[in-house]
Formats: sequence, structure tokens, C-alpha cells
Amino acid sequence: MNREEIVPKVKEAFVTVLEHENFELLDTTTANDVDGWESITHMMIISEVEKKFDIKFKLMDLMNMDNVGDLLDTIVAELTTK
Amino acid sequence: MEGIIKMEYIKQLKRSLKQYVGNNALCINGNFYTYRELAIAVSNIRNTLTIATQRQDKLIGLVTNDDLQTYASILALWLEGKAYVPINPEVPLERNLQVLSLTEATYVLDSSIASVYTDYTVLNPTVTDEVEIYVEPAVIDENDIAYILFTSGTTGQPKGVPITFSNVQALVTAIDDEPSFNLQASDRCLQMFELTFDFSVVAYLFPLLAGACFYTIPKGAIKYFYIFKLISEQKLTVLTMVPSIINYLRPYFSEINAPHVRYCSFGGGALHSDIAKEWSTCLPNSKIFNYYGPTEFTVYSGFYEYIPNSATKAYNGVIAIGTPQKNTSYLLVDQKNEEVAVGVTGELCLAGPQITNGYWKNKAKNTQSFFTRLESGVSVRYYKTGDLCIKDDEGDFLYVGRVDFQVKIRGYRVELAEIEFHARVKSDHKVAMVALAITNHLGNAELGLAIASDPFDTTTIFEHMRTQMPPYMIPMHTVFVKEFPHSINGKIDRKALKKYFDIHKD
Repeated sequence: MNREEIVPKVKEAFVTVLEHENFELLDTTTANDVDGWESITHMMIISEVEKKFDIKFKLMDLMNMDNVGDLLDTIVAELTTK
Repeated sequence: MEGIIKMEYIKQLKRSLKQYVGNNALCINGNFYTYRELAIAVSNIRNTLTIATQRQDKLIGLVTNDDLQTYASILALWLEGKAYVPINPEVPLERNLQVLSLTEATYVLDSSIASVYTDYTVLNPTVTDEVEIYVEPAVIDENDIAYILFTSGTTGQPKGVPITFSNVQALVTAIDDEPSFNLQASDRCLQMFELTFDFSVVAYLFPLLAGACFYTIPKGAIKYFYIFKLISEQKLTVLTMVPSIINYLRPYFSEINAPHVRYCSFGGGALHSDIAKEWSTCLPNSKIFNYYGPTEFTVYSGFYEYIPNSATKAYNGVIAIGTPQKNTSYLLVDQKNEEVAVGVTGELCLAGPQITNGYWKNKAKNTQSFFTRLESGVSVRYYKTGDLCIKDDEGDFLYVGRVDFQVKIRGYRVELAEIEFHARVKSDHKVAMVALAITNHLGNAELGLAIASDPFDTTTIFEHMRTQMPPYMIPMHTVFVKEFPHSINGKIDRKALKKYFDIHKD
């Protein structure tokens, strides 16, 4: 699965948790750009993404995740090592 | 002059500022500040305060930005014998203005680039190098207020809890007396709390008294991962946290190993024994304490030490809150404020020098929450915590639950009635709305709003709530239930209502 295929599923995870669709997921998008995306919802989004792709993130990767681009890269990396 | 002598903790702060000049005092967003830099900032702000304010201006608003100036402002105010009234810039302006107006503060210390408190005299705690270090305390009246914190109230109006200098001194005395907890100048401590939350007081004050360094969480950072980053990269030695932090980190425990942590203190919510056990394996050399205490009793009133692989006292899986600390008394009472027997559930009441003088200008609430009791001919004043406990035959106290509709969300006390009030007040749909705390699959409480109606657009309700309440009080889940379930005596069955929330997806 490439990045383009991943994005819609990631967006679904965001919508499930945040209960709205008023955002775009660009590589540079951060929590500051999306209404309702903060510490708690971030944890819920991460858990939702893990379920959707059947992957498990490593704490080291999560710790250095600053924007949506980092999230997508990590998903790609997890999927290829699966 | 007697006042100064009694305020040993203020003198100790002065000594720290003078003695540990080269040590790091704070780490904010990766930047370290030494005690010398802190002392310079404090001296600058004291100059500003001396020029702008009068001695009788005791309560000063403080915008709680995450920076050196904000922490230096607290110390400057205390050295001047004044109180800080913290206001969180992330909370709706309307609520902060309400807090300022309730305290009748006219000055606001605000390090923001552009202050929104235009109706107030804004003092900018700017720091210049050209200042003589001045950390000698002024004459401090121990009965003066050191800080006022506002918590959620049932009528839509926040409740103020004033804490005096002597209350803080009593807290420091009690903790100093505890041999199992002893901070050193070399300690690196976590300060994860917003300054409007009373737990923050122990997280910044104890490190400063010891000449140690504390590390804050930048606003906007993903708290849980930032904390882990600090623990692993900065090799923190002292952690003070709410249990929800480890609940969210739990899926990653196998990746955490922090042998450098010496102390880990929990407070502000129920600590479950199963997760404490797992967490203890991440901190092989740490003592783990379960602290208890309400804002009204100056942060901590007592603790229970959790010792892994030993018999742990718990009730319904929640670790005991142990025994009261020095000079504090615990009393369990029935509805008539009479003491209950050992082994019987009662409401926990606290007495001692850490007790607040009462809610800020709230006579009705004070009559409800405080009472006096004659003990050996002396009248003793108690605070009713609203927490139900059982005392066992060894004198340890076990936490059972709440007597009312107050819940803890990420350590913050929330009155469900306040959420319901703000949800209903601007709604065109005059239907029943009930706020509930629902436990998610990680064991954390999340807020849900149940609405007795066919589905409708809740945008305006939520928009209104966001202008009135801090983010942690906004429900994260909404369900429409045409007919609310009721109990036999006609009350809404909150327990049954919770089942409508589908947050146990896995």
C-alpha cells in the first residue's frame, strides 16, 4: 500500500474520533490545524489507525511524530516490515 | 516580623535562588534556565510589581503561559506577599474574565505577546539583564492568600479555593517530615500540570525548594509521548502524574525502562493496582506513592506507598489512599456528620493546618462543605471531601467512590451538572440532557452527553459549550436516546444510560 492509498483510511480514523470532516490531511498538517485534535484524541486516533491497518506503532516512533507526514511515513514503514 | 520567620518555605525559596545559581531550575521546551536566570527574572518582576501595584493589591491575575516569566511571576508575587490567580490562556476568555471579576483582581501578569485582558492593567513580566538580584522576602502575613484556584461548580459558576501562605507552609512541613520522600539538588522532576491545577504546586515547588530542576510540557505537545520523551531522553528521576497518563501509555509499557526514576507519585484520581503493578516494572528502582488530597486541603493530605510484589491494600481494584500525613486528621462520617465505625463506608473529612478558610465568597457552599466538631474540648474544623472511604482495622483508608455527581477527567474535577447546564442553556431543543463519565477500554473516564430526543444538529450546543468551559469539560461522545431509562423511583438511570455509548469498540 502506498501513501496515496493510505491517506483515505487515515482520514476515516480521524473522522471516527473527531466526529467532523472539516480538515485536510497534508504532510505538514499538525494538531494545531485540526479542530479537536489534542493529546487525548491523538491517542484515540493512533489506536484507531493501528486497528484499521492491523499494525502496532512503537513508542519511539510515536514520540517523534510531529505531523501527518510523519504519521504516514510510520504507517508505510510498519506495513512494509509486517 | 514574626510572619517572615514562620514562612520557612519562602525563606527556603530565597536560599535556593541564592545558593544554586549555577544549577538548572527549569527546562521549558528544551531550553534550560539556571537558578541565576530565574533569580534575575524574579527580581525584574518584583521591580514591575513594586512600581505598578500597592501593598494592598494582594490578588494578581497570572496568565499561565509555559515560560520562565510565568514561573518567575509566582515566586515574585510570593516574595512580595501577594497571591497568584492563575488563568489558563486555553480556557474560554469568558470563563477567565469571570474568575478575574470574582477575585476583583485589577492587575494581570501576562507574558503573551498581545494580551487579551484589555480591561485590566496588564503587567508584562519582561526580563532585562540590568537588574540587581533581589530575593529577600517582604513582610508576609501568613494569613494572606498565596493562590486561588477555581474548580468546576454546579451552577455554571466556577468555585474559588483560596490557599494561604500558612496552608502552603503546612504542606511543605508535612512533606519534609516524611523520610521516604527526599528530593535532592541533582533531581530532574516532571512538571506536567497546567498551573490552574493544584497538583502543579507540588510539581514546581518541591524541586525549587531542593535546588532541583523541573521539566514542563509545552502547550500543544502530545502530553503522553512528550512525557515519555522527557523520561527517556532527560533521564528524569522524579515523576508526579495523574493515573490517566499511564493508562494511555499502557499499550507501550514493554518499551519503557527507566531505572533512573527514584520516585513516582500519583494523585488526582483512582490508581488501579493492576496497572500500578505493570507500571512498576518500567521503573525498577522507583518508590511509588499513591497520594490523596483535594484542592481545598492544599494538594496532598496523605498517601499510601505501593510496594510491588507485596500485599497491596485495594478496594474494587483501586489502591488504598493510606494514612493522613503530619498534622492532618481523617474522619469518616455519616449523613449527620457523625463518625462511622471501622469497616463502614463514610464520607472522608479532613482537618488540620492545610484546610482552606472556605470557598471564595460562597457562604451557601461553605455551610455545606465545612463543619466543626468538639474533640477533647477543642473545636476542630473539618472539610467534607465528597469522597467515600472505608477505614480498615490497621488504620488505612480505602477509596470507595464519590457521594455526588462529580467526576475526575484527566485529574480535573468536573461537576456533571455544570456541563448539563451549559449544554441546555442555549439549546432550541428543550429536552433532557445528561452528562456522564464513561470508562473507555483503557480505563480512563471520558465525557459523554446523552440527549433525550431524535437526532438533531448539536453544532450550536457544542459551540456554546466551547465558549464557556475548558476543553477537558467538553463531551467527546454524544448519543440520542428517545426515552431515557429510569429507575424504579423515577430517577434517570445513569448506569443504564451509559450502555448507549459505544466506546468499547475493540
